[in-house]
Amino acid sequence: MAEGTGRHILGSFDNALETLRNNVLMMGRLAERNLANAAKGLFERDDDPCNIVIADDEEIDTLEIQVDQEGVLILTRFQPVANDLRQVITSMKSSVNIERIADQAVNIARRARKLNAHPELPVIHSLEPMFAHASSMFADALRAYSDNSAEIARGLKARDKELDEMNRQFARTCTERMAGEPDSVRGYLNLIFIARFLERVGDHATNLGEDIVFAVDAEEIRHTQASRTD
Amino acid sequence: MESELKSPAADPSTASPEPRPDFIQVKDFNFFYGRKQALFDITMDIPERQVTAFIGPSGCGKSTLLRNFNRMNDLIDGTHHTGDITINGRSIYDPKLEIIALRRSIGMVFQKSNPFPKSIYENIVYSLRIAGRRNRKFLDETVERSLRGAALWDEVKDRLNESALGLSGGQMQRLCIARAIANNPEVLLMDEPCSALDPIATAKVEELIHELKKDFTIVIVTHNMQQATRCSDRTAFFYLGRLIEFDTTEKIFSNPSQKQTEDYITGRFG
Repeated sequence: MAEGTGRHILGSFDNALETLRNNVLMMGRLAERNLANAAKGLFERDDDPCNIVIADDEEIDTLEIQVDQEGVLILTRFQPVANDLRQVITSMKSSVNIERIADQAVNIARRARKLNAHPELPVIHSLEPMFAHASSMFADALRAYSDNSAEIARGLKARDKELDEMNRQFARTCTERMAGEPDSVRGYLNLIFIARFLERVGDHATNLGEDIVFAVDAEEIRHTQASRTD
Repeated sequence: MESELKSPAADPSTASPEPRPDFIQVKDFNFFYGRKQALFDITMDIPERQVTAFIGPSGCGKSTLLRNFNRMNDLIDGTHHTGDITINGRSIYDPKLEIIALRRSIGMVFQKSNPFPKSIYENIVYSLRIAGRRNRKFLDETVERSLRGAALWDEVKDRLNESALGLSGGQMQRLCIARAIANNPEVLLMDEPCSALDPIATAKVEELIHELKKDFTIVIVTHNMQQATRCSDRTAFFYLGRLIEFDTTEKIFSNPSQKQTEDYITGRFG
C-alpha cells in the first residue's frame, strides 16, 4: 500500500483531519480514565470513583457526536480518497467503539456500587487480571490508532480469545460458589455481569484493531476465521 | 485504401459478444513534438465498452495520448512516434488504413463545445453528407438516433432547423456528443468535456456517458477526480509523460499501489 505522506496542499484539510484524530484520542483517554476509575471503585470498594465514571460518561457521548459531525463535514468538504478516506471512516467507527467501552465502564461502576453495599466476596480479586487484560488491550488499540500501527492492531484478536476464556472461567467459578452461598447469589451475579462487561471491552478493542488495520493497510480482517470467537 | 478499422480477420458471424479487454492497445509508445519527448514507454490495454479516465497534472501527457488515438497529432508539424497503438486488433498506423476512416470511427468531444455555425440538424448530418449520404430518411433517422443517444432529442426536436449556436452550453456539448456518435464510432474520446459546464449540465453529460458506454468504448481526460470516480470503470494516472498506474477506478481511489498516485489524488502535489 502506498501511504500518503506529507502535508496536503490544502492546509484546512490537514487541520480538519488532525482535529478529528485528536478528538478520537481524547475520547480514548477519557474512556481509559473511566475504566480505571471503575476498577478503583470496584476493588477499593469506593463509591466516589464510581460516581465520577457515571458523571464523566456524558462528555464522551458528546465527543462521539462531535467526531461524527466532523467526519461528515470532512467527507462533504474535501471528498477524501484512498488513505485519507480510510482514516476518516476509521475515526468515525472508532468513536463508536470507544463510546461503547465507556458505557461498559459505566455498567461496571453501577454494579460496583451495588457490591460495595454488601460484604466483599473474595472472588472479586480474580477479576483483577481480567481488568488488567482488558485495559491493556484498550490501551494498545489506542496506541495503534495514534501510531497508525497495523502490527499492534493485528495482535489484539488473539488477546481477545484469552479474555473470552478468562470470562468463561470466572463465570464457572462464580456459578460453583453460588450453589453453596445462596445469600450471596446477587453479589455473584453482579460479578458475572462485570466479567461480561470486561469481555465486551475486549471485543470493542478488537473492533478498533480491525478498523485500524483497514485504515493503515486497506485490508479487511473482520469476520475472518482468526477473528471468530467461540 | 482500406476504410474499415475492423480487423481483417473479423467475421461478424463469429464475432464474440464478449467485450475485448484490449480493445485499444498501446504498446511501448513514445511520442515526440519535434525533439521534445512528451510520452515515454506507454503500454496499456483499454477495455471495450468501458469508461477509462486519464488523470494527472497539467502537462503530464494525457491529452497528448488521447489525441494520438485518432491521430489528431499528425496535424501538428514535427510530431513522430515509436511503438504502436491498435484498435480492435488493427494498428492505427497501418499504411493500408485510411486516416479519414479512422477518424470517422472515433468520435471526439472537446473541452469547449464546438458546434458548427449551422442548424442543429445540419450539425449532425454534416459528416454524413460529406461522405456522400443523401437519403433523407436515413439522415432523419440518424439525427433522431443521435440526439436521443445524447439525451437531447426531447429538448430540440421541435427546432431542429434552428441554429445550434442558440443552445445552452450544456446542450451544445450534448449536441457535440450527438454529432460524434452519428457515425456509429467504436470509440468516443472526451477531452475534459464538462470543465466548462455548470453542475446540472455536468450531471446530465455524466449520466449520458453512463448510458453511452453500453455501446461505445469511452476514454475521458478529466481534471475532476470526483468525475473520474463517478464516471469511469478504470483510471490511468500519468505524470511527466509516463503512465504511473492503471487499474480499476475503485482501486486507484481507495488503495493505489504507487505513492505518486496516492499523493496526487489526495492533493499532496499537483
